[in-house]
Amino acid sequence: MKTKKMIGTVLQHVLLAILAVIWLIPIVWLVATAFSGYKGINIAHFFPQSWSLDNFRQLLFEPDSVVQYGAWFKNTLIIAIFTCIISTIFVVMVSYAMSCMRFNGRKSLMSFSLILNMFPGPLLMIAVYFVMKMIGLTNSHVGMIIVYSAGSGLGFLIVKGFMDTIPTSLREAAKIEGASEAAIFLKVVIPLCKPIIVYQIISSFLIPWGDFVLAKLMLNSGISSDFTIAIGLYNMLEKSLINKYFAVFCAGGLLVSIPISILFVIMQRCYVSGVTSGAVKG
Amino acid sequence: MRRFLTLRHLPGHDTCRGMIHDFMPAQARHKVNRADLTHCLGESMREERDGVKTMGKSIAKYFKEWGTALTKGSLWVKLSLLFMGAGYFGCGQVMNGILMMLVEAVFIVFLAYFGVPNLAKFGTLGTVQAQQIFDPVTLQTTMNDYDNSFLILLCSVITLFVIVLFVIFWFQNLKTVYRLQLKKAEGGHINTFAEDVRSLFNHKFHITLLTLPAIGVILMNIIPILVLIAVAFTNYDQQHMPPNALFTWIGFGNFANLFTNSITVSFGYAFRKILGWTLLWAVLATLTTFIGGILLAKLINSATTKWPAFWRTLFVVSIAVPQFVTLLLVRNFFADSGIVNTVCSNIGLTDFLKSVGLVGSHLTYIPFLTNPNWAKVMIVLINIWVGVPYQMLIATGVLMNIPTDQIESARLDGASSFQIFCKITMPYVLFIQGPALITDFVKNINNFNVIYLLTQDVYITSDQLLANSNAKEVDLLVTWLFRLTNEYYNYKMASAIGIIVFIICAAFTLLSFSRMIAGSREEDYR
Repeated sequence: MKTKKMIGTVLQHVLLAILAVIWLIPIVWLVATAFSGYKGINIAHFFPQSWSLDNFRQLLFEPDSVVQYGAWFKNTLIIAIFTCIISTIFVVMVSYAMSCMRFNGRKSLMSFSLILNMFPGPLLMIAVYFVMKMIGLTNSHVGMIIVYSAGSGLGFLIVKGFMDTIPTSLREAAKIEGASEAAIFLKVVIPLCKPIIVYQIISSFLIPWGDFVLAKLMLNSGISSDFTIAIGLYNMLEKSLINKYFAVFCAGGLLVSIPISILFVIMQRCYVSGVTSGAVKG
Repeated sequence: MRRFLTLRHLPGHDTCRGMIHDFMPAQARHKVNRADLTHCLGESMREERDGVKTMGKSIAKYFKEWGTALTKGSLWVKLSLLFMGAGYFGCGQVMNGILMMLVEAVFIVFLAYFGVPNLAKFGTLGTVQAQQIFDPVTLQTTMNDYDNSFLILLCSVITLFVIVLFVIFWFQNLKTVYRLQLKKAEGGHINTFAEDVRSLFNHKFHITLLTLPAIGVILMNIIPILVLIAVAFTNYDQQHMPPNALFTWIGFGNFANLFTNSITVSFGYAFRKILGWTLLWAVLATLTTFIGGILLAKLINSATTKWPAFWRTLFVVSIAVPQFVTLLLVRNFFADSGIVNTVCSNIGLTDFLKSVGLVGSHLTYIPFLTNPNWAKVMIVLINIWVGVPYQMLIATGVLMNIPTDQIESARLDGASSFQIFCKITMPYVLFIQGPALITDFVKNINNFNVIYLLTQDVYITSDQLLANSNAKEVDLLVTWLFRLTNEYYNYKMASAIGIIVFIICAAFTLLSFSRMIAGSREEDYR
């Protein structure tokens, strides 16, 4: 009986190890190729035969007509910063109105936004593209920022949920002291919502870094220095370029994933602490 | 726009949890108990259903009140039907009156210079074709004053929207003015302008808060949806591209196209095939990642497993790299002349598959992403690779919350662990994860990234009928419509497909949600 159990446990760990290897192979390949001395796809060997940091050097210090990593990074950063400012402000404003205020049509507005949310996003893109093209904002930072942040007011449910856990007595006390609704919003509710606001800031900051579809549609000029990171990296893998740039692509992918995963970890922490600290207050 | 970007497109975003929370109403937010989620969902859906019922009543009430305002209002009130500021002047609110008159003036100017010229052409979407005219006097070629069908359509949609908003505003105005009159008659306090402005930061603060976000949503969501719907009824495609050509209304022709087959039009064939694959893909992708996630979570969290945190980290590492990077990487990993094919032919797998007949005898490689059947299987497998770590994280959370007393008593009664898994664990997980499964299913119908990044530029269809309508065997409806617009400028068909996808998604969501919350099932696990 005991040996049978032992065998079971060993098998279990072997299975886990096999699965873990399967899940890690592409990641290891990404890292290995990023440090490869050969620029194209190495189809004969899994690990490169020569190691070098040349790909990173080319990526960061030798921009050419295809690779403009610095420019891409700058574009994405600018877009991300403005997107996260605007959409965080929008989301917090809508959440406060929906959570802390009572007015006619509040519920129907909320249901309406749920239904609007059901319209699949990728379909909307075409029409959004039309509108932006008419205003002449394709291929520009402003256009991208508008596209990413203008509709963000619809994503208010998480922050609203957090605000609902703030006891009404706090707001009532402030009101008795003579605070206006605006003062309560700015001086009472927002400071209490810090963790969930950080969550909101990071999650909207991350959108432009990972978005592919919208950027591909909006940034169609073909000029490399206009791209965001996602489009730039995608562009490197075009048939005529892939053999010269594949290793550089891997290096770029690796570089961009470092800040993203750090932010992601912080975001998850804030999210969890936001929700649990809400429990204490509630 | 934010909404659809948050989910699949965000690298490392906890997909499912995001979705659960998107649908989660706020009432019971402070508990992170998963069982609450379904309950909350039920509440919100029921609220919505009741909302529809009461909406009819409240509309009737609204018009009745408006009628009383009109019949019982003073002359000032009646005058404000024509001059919107009149009622305010009557009550001494001069500033408000002036503002109202300004709004009305702006609206009239908007109509005169922007709305009417566009609306006049709305029926035909323009008649003057763009032409180059040679002017014999100046010896220069210039463009004539042509119509741009798309601009006309877009501006008309905007105008119609503004008109609707204005009419609502106009109705509301009369009621407000009547209320003011009543207040004045009772001798109540009439606000000065400064007090009115101050109220925008006090009990009317929601108006201040909601205005800007609402404008954003109208610009980025509502107007595009309306335009998209309108384009589906026109013949806007590569042969009718403004500004050089005109397009016009053709009624339901595009939708008819989707269901017909002829020598010239193969959209019916392509639509049927792609719809079938889209639904199959959505089912497979949702179920495989879901079950895989649960099994992996059980394996990692089982009592006999050593270092569970270590194993979990290993799997989560694959989330750290942005999705588009891993997908593009994997695509080259499995390319026809890629590294996997080298390894397979070295160990003799290619020859073995050839002898079994799974690989065509004329090929020297395994067509992982280039043969329709292989590609479909590979896409599902790669999606498992992408999706299972997320699902594992979620399932870990859910499994930790399983009421242990039930499992204990089942074990005392002599149930085997397999029985416990089938009869207690699975029903519980399904119950809690049900709503998330449905949203997952809908997201998978629209899963652009996986399909597009894996097959674009790699997969070439050999089916002539599909190629005629610019489709591929591995396309989903979304990727098909994306390529229709982005590469072939076939906006009319793309819009028609878009509307159909929306109908499918909305119908599915509403149907399954109403079914899931029917009865009192949400109390089962309390």
